[in-house]
Amino acid sequence: MRMSIKPASVERRLCAGVFLAFLLGLLGLAPLPGGVAMAADKVQTELAGKPNNPGAELWRDVRQRDTQIKGVTQVEGMDAGVLININGERWRRFRMEQLIPAVGVALGGVLGLILLFHLVKRGVPIAAGLSGKYLHRFKEIDRLLHWTVALVFIFLALTGLILLTGRVILIPLLGPELFATLASASKEGHNLFGPLFLVGVIGLFIRFVSKNFLRKGDIGWLFKGGGFFAGKHPSAGFFNMGEKIWFWLVILVGLVVSATGLILEFPFFGQDRSLMELALVLHGVGAALLIAGSFGHIYVGTAGMPGSLSSMTTGYVDLNWARQHHNLWAEECESRDEVLSKSEFERSRGETPLGDRPEPLTRGDG
Amino acid sequence: MARMKFLCDAERCIECNACVTACKNENNIPWGVNRRRVVTINDGSPGERSMSVACMHCSDAPCAAVCPVDCFYTTDDGVVLHDKDICIGCGYCFYACPFGAPQFPSDGAFGSRGKMDKCTFCAGGPEEDNSPAEYQKYGSNRLSQGKLPLCAEMCSTHALLAGDGDTVSNIFRERVTWRGSSGISWGWGVAYGKPGQRSARGVDNKATGGD
Repeated sequence: MRMSIKPASVERRLCAGVFLAFLLGLLGLAPLPGGVAMAADKVQTELAGKPNNPGAELWRDVRQRDTQIKGVTQVEGMDAGVLININGERWRRFRMEQLIPAVGVALGGVLGLILLFHLVKRGVPIAAGLSGKYLHRFKEIDRLLHWTVALVFIFLALTGLILLTGRVILIPLLGPELFATLASASKEGHNLFGPLFLVGVIGLFIRFVSKNFLRKGDIGWLFKGGGFFAGKHPSAGFFNMGEKIWFWLVILVGLVVSATGLILEFPFFGQDRSLMELALVLHGVGAALLIAGSFGHIYVGTAGMPGSLSSMTTGYVDLNWARQHHNLWAEECESRDEVLSKSEFERSRGETPLGDRPEPLTRGDG
Repeated sequence: MARMKFLCDAERCIECNACVTACKNENNIPWGVNRRRVVTINDGSPGERSMSVACMHCSDAPCAAVCPVDCFYTTDDGVVLHDKDICIGCGYCFYACPFGAPQFPSDGAFGSRGKMDKCTFCAGGPEEDNSPAEYQKYGSNRLSQGKLPLCAEMCSTHALLAGDGDTVSNIFRERVTWRGSSGISWGWGVAYGKPGQRSARGVDNKATGGD
């Protein structure tokens, strides 16, 4: 087979050489077509030096994107006048060769690192043990907001990952018909609950922004890695730098993901294909960032730091947990005499019937 | 095995949109969907050229590559088709396609996309050939009846060619040969050949695009 390829390529080269010589000859010898009247001088001057078919020139320019590839058409529709979608192949390559593998590696990697950390360090327990005294951390409305956004986020993440990676992972398991049903439901669900995430992000911003501005000591906290890996726990206020980074990531990336999601969900406001391709890129990258971040958030909120979860379930945390992780806030609360004993805590939890529920004993600080 | 291809000869296309209309009629295509369209570049200026565009049935089809539910398949004739029972109407094929071929009927609340519709090379879909279900979802299946796509069959100037890639390119090659590449090659005589030229070449009334 090799033998047959060689002569062919030699022949092709020969042909090309002859053709090139022919073209050069034409350029040098062909008389200018002066006798033919052209409608536009511009076209004539362009053609004078190039004795080629103007149609061929046009299509070469179209193919090399050297000319306007948006024309006129009778058909109405998005980008109907565009002859060639110049970003399509780039978008395809990004999605299939970069985004999907990168999301797999990133999410798997973050999960792996968390697992490794947990196996080696067993999380960060409350060093002084439970104190049996409590501080009020998050109001009911904040917890409701948190869990609403959390549920919506988890649903959107799952349905989004099904759509992004299902072809690779789920079709071999479920078969194309069953997966198509799942994917269709995922798409509809994703579109239905997507806008709710934006409402949630705005809600989180309104409720928590005042506590998430950069304060003195935050950068120091960051340099010490939050005391997560070794050494003494650096001091922190109500929210430490890690929580602030997560907050701003959720707000900023959340807004990007929401905005791009809306661009994609309602394709009839005149947004063109290039914008939607860009929106899909940002949507995918942003969502992957948020999902990877959420793994860390879920870990430190549960197994990673015992005592954290109760702040979002009951709204109260143990005093020793607060002293360890948010010493400045704990000191503030103590100076304001907001520490609850166990009996006070149980009473404020509403062990009494709902009808005559006592007033909360402390001013909520959430 | 044949490898089906479209080719639009831009020297001949006169932007009459008969291919668009023929396609809509033959395949009973809903409002808002056009499987084929004619795009004119440099409209109104010298050097204006028109081209009829639809699905080009790519060998390495980007639509098929990005489809999250993998609903595309290529027939033995090299025609790229898709399964509407599997399609979820996400629109990704439209983002990836170089030619803007995939179309989406507006469906349900908020104008969300329905299942994708595109040129089938008049080859129907995965349903049984020429069954009512196939016609309802994908339109006509002319290929199974030994006929070529109606858009090309209806083309009044034989600008749009459809068929086996070898045959189509032979026809086009012959046209290019007689057009030559001298100076300004456009106009009626260039596109169709002058009568004397054609009989001298012996191409009259031969199946080389009808001219």
